[in-house]
Amino acid sequence: MNIQSQKGLSVIKKLNWSLIVTIVTLLIIGLINLYSISHRTHSTTTHLFYLQLVWITVGACIFLCISFINYHFFTRVAYILYSVNLIFLIMVHFFGSVFGGSKRWLDLGLFNYQPSETLKIILIFILARILSVKRSWKSMTLTELAKPLILILIPVLFIVFQPDLGTGLMILIITGSIIIFAKVHRNILFSCILCILCISPLAWNFILKDYQKNRILTFISPGRDPRGTGYNTIQSKIAIGSGQFLGKGFQKGTQSQLEFLPERHTDFIFSVLSEEHGFIGSTITIFLFLFLIILGFHTAFQSKDKVGVFLCIGMSFYMFWHMFINIGMTMGLLPIVGIPLPLLSYGGSSLLTTMVALGVISSVSFRRYLF
Amino acid sequence: MREQLSRMEEELQEIIHRWKWVSWILVCAGLILVSRLWYLQIIHGEKLRKYSEINRLREAKIPAPRGIIFDRQGHILVDNFLDLELTITPQYLNHLEQAAKDISSIIQIAPQHIMEKVRLEEKKHGPFRPIVIKKHLDLNQVVRLKLLQWDYTGVDIQEAIIRHYPLKENGAHLFGYLSEIAKKQIPVFNKKYGKKFHFQPGDLIGKNGLESVWEYELRGEDGFSFVEVDVHNRKSISEISSLWSFKPKEPTPGNNLTLTIDKSLQETAYLSLLRKDKIGPRHGSVIVMKNNGEILAWVSYPSYNPNIFSIGLSTASWMKLADNPTNPLRNKPIQDHYAPGSIFKPIVALAALQEGLITADTLIDSPKELIFGRRTYHDYRKTGHGSIHLISAIERSANVFFYKLGINLGIDTIAKYARLFHLGKKTSIKLDGEVTGFIPDSKWKKKHLGEAWQPGENLVHAIGQGFILVTPLQMAVVYYAIATSEKIVKPFIVKKITDTNDKVIQTFSSQVIDTINEQQIKQEHFNTLRKALTQVVHGPQGTAKWWKVKDVKIAGKTGTAQVMSFSKDSIHEKCQERPLEQKHHGWFVAIAPADNPEITVSVLTEHSCSGSSGSAPIARDIIHAYFENKKRREVSSLSSSSEKAQ
Repeated sequence: MNIQSQKGLSVIKKLNWSLIVTIVTLLIIGLINLYSISHRTHSTTTHLFYLQLVWITVGACIFLCISFINYHFFTRVAYILYSVNLIFLIMVHFFGSVFGGSKRWLDLGLFNYQPSETLKIILIFILARILSVKRSWKSMTLTELAKPLILILIPVLFIVFQPDLGTGLMILIITGSIIIFAKVHRNILFSCILCILCISPLAWNFILKDYQKNRILTFISPGRDPRGTGYNTIQSKIAIGSGQFLGKGFQKGTQSQLEFLPERHTDFIFSVLSEEHGFIGSTITIFLFLFLIILGFHTAFQSKDKVGVFLCIGMSFYMFWHMFINIGMTMGLLPIVGIPLPLLSYGGSSLLTTMVALGVISSVSFRRYLF
Repeated sequence: MREQLSRMEEELQEIIHRWKWVSWILVCAGLILVSRLWYLQIIHGEKLRKYSEINRLREAKIPAPRGIIFDRQGHILVDNFLDLELTITPQYLNHLEQAAKDISSIIQIAPQHIMEKVRLEEKKHGPFRPIVIKKHLDLNQVVRLKLLQWDYTGVDIQEAIIRHYPLKENGAHLFGYLSEIAKKQIPVFNKKYGKKFHFQPGDLIGKNGLESVWEYELRGEDGFSFVEVDVHNRKSISEISSLWSFKPKEPTPGNNLTLTIDKSLQETAYLSLLRKDKIGPRHGSVIVMKNNGEILAWVSYPSYNPNIFSIGLSTASWMKLADNPTNPLRNKPIQDHYAPGSIFKPIVALAALQEGLITADTLIDSPKELIFGRRTYHDYRKTGHGSIHLISAIERSANVFFYKLGINLGIDTIAKYARLFHLGKKTSIKLDGEVTGFIPDSKWKKKHLGEAWQPGENLVHAIGQGFILVTPLQMAVVYYAIATSEKIVKPFIVKKITDTNDKVIQTFSSQVIDTINEQQIKQEHFNTLRKALTQVVHGPQGTAKWWKVKDVKIAGKTGTAQVMSFSKDSIHEKCQERPLEQKHHGWFVAIAPADNPEITVSVLTEHSCSGSSGSAPIARDIIHAYFENKKRREVSSLSSSSEKAQ
């Protein structure tokens, strides 16, 4: 009916502007925050702010490029990307640089590349391709589930033995959400949960390294190791709490300014925000995130085909779980895992993969009119 | 068309269903996060704000004591003292300059020094790490500093533990000392001990001796606690600690070591080495080994007081120690090797007997000198010994007798027998820095010096001079092998490891690492040799006949090791009149009782001129003390058991 008129829309107008505005707002919040902690007196980290500006520029280009690429391209090359990524993941085992006791990174000269990060996105492509073939919305049977599960579990096992339990679990949570969204029979779901319950004591004894156990135990009782991981939780809670309603103000956060927080540029960036901008600032940020995620889901429901639906669902879950786990961790709701906050945390890897994810949503949104 | 429509309808239903489902998740997640924010920022916000500004959560280290070292009877050899030290935490100190001035008047350190140290350390470790300004505060200082604390937050008095060595210089080399870990050692140590400990700058670690070798056992794990401190530096119990419910981490003390050392024998050995006779306090080393390899006493002199390291050694004092020409830091029993001199003769004797060169009754003429090639080889006695057999030759330590054996045996045979006793090899005692000593042979000389072995050298080596080098500990092992006719033991010092509750963690026992069998050296040759060694102390012409102990039969051998070769004219010059660095070293190695050996004593005294007057008296004192102690213990255990019987 109104297809005719929509065809005439210019390229610029067809972009999802509310999505872009939300992203830009969050990026600006992130930059304000980063400036606050990197530009205090005698700071040795001023360069981080400018580096982040570079990453954001690169990220914006990627976002726009992907917006204009037909998202079917990604599902078409999904298996190739998957294989290449798996090779990188195996290479990490042999050539990876050791950081904090585990091998996660490949040193590519210009920057460090963490294959497990890109894998999250590629697995979403793979799932979108497999799940969109399904003709109806009926529950998936075990045989239908086998293929995606195997494709997920192979790299996850590699990652868990790197050892990087946090990223491994993150991948399981994101892909699990997508599969459950695609509908799984109740019995299968329950038997899966039962399985996990049985495996976890085994994993505790044989797979988890001491420091990983320590993190989980510390989360349950932070007093256990107040010097190590528990200390971060305690300090992060003080930082957030001391922000009160309005916050201490820009560059006035004492907890975060004074190096109480060890990874305040990356994993604990939300504590900095909460301390300096209080309940108001934090709530606005959380709502912006939720709005961004809702836009993602909304795009999914508007999508013209199932590939688009699953891509958007996947990327939205990707954003949602990162946001929820990271913020939950800084507030002492969840154990401390090395997961950055999308768009706000400092770091190229995190920012670029997030921009890819958002770019895919934008691409689906861009093509929703083209029947 | 209709089918398609109904399918679209169905899909729409599914999508609405999921949309609801997703919205619920998002709403819940939002609620959880915002309500947690509300809880932290609005409900607890005021407390936490105060907490971040006025009341500070301060980390307090609870130092863990190192393990105590006991002797075999449970007497303390090394323990700990409580110490108080002044620290400054830069983060909490607002007026550093003024504070430094006020503190300086109490602890007598220039304010510039205090400020410099604080700035340097702050740069290195950040503002939250307390910086130790002065250790070993006395009570008067503590009281005055406590008053200062009211004016300056960030000035603290912290408990610390210092290591105490009650024996002071005695046994310093055996126990070692503590000193601050070097920066580049931190990663090495964390790799080595990382499973149990995490090393940080400023941590004390064992250096040398047992403190270093047993670091893993002795080291305790420091505890940590958090205290809240208000503006007046008063510590308070946290009102809101329930928010994170932290419990302090209790320190875990290190494990205790029980040594094989006998404290009273150790003291006897030390005092005896420092005896004030004609020779005066001697430089050298004393090893007393029990018949299973347990070390009963371990003395090395010159020594140092390890307590000065605990107090914190200034660079100047350290340089003075390190540059001292007498090397007080050297653990002589294993780190220095010497020519064995005549204490090597028993090995040559065994070689000659086993090779069938002589029997116990073969008489050999031993005049005052022997001309071999173009050189004259002297005996120490100007009159010579006449025609004697092996037992007399050892009793008198006749050189020419052994020159002749040496000519016929050759160095390679001598070396073969020396190596049977593991000379030229480490004893593998668990201590750092042991040297191997050296046993030469013709092949080695050809290879390393490019010259053929000269027949004349056989003579010199037969009396333990020349290239041969041994450590005092090695000689104790050799003589113990002679005493048992076979066993090469591995000497050891730690008997057992116990935790603080006296629960035994590990025990150590005697370890025979090698045996000399009947084919290698016959039993009867050992018997002959032991007879000869007994004559050294008990024979009428014995070189140590002045040093008998009542009721105890001692077998031993004196040795005098030349530190340089002398010209023909000066060979009989009085050793005592030579300059110190030219004086001979004196050896005495003894086993007692000769028939049923219980202990082996190896004494080396540097530049004491002779084994007989330099070293033998010390061995005599030790053997005397050992059997006196034993008798006393037997009497007391007898009386206590008879008391029980009554």
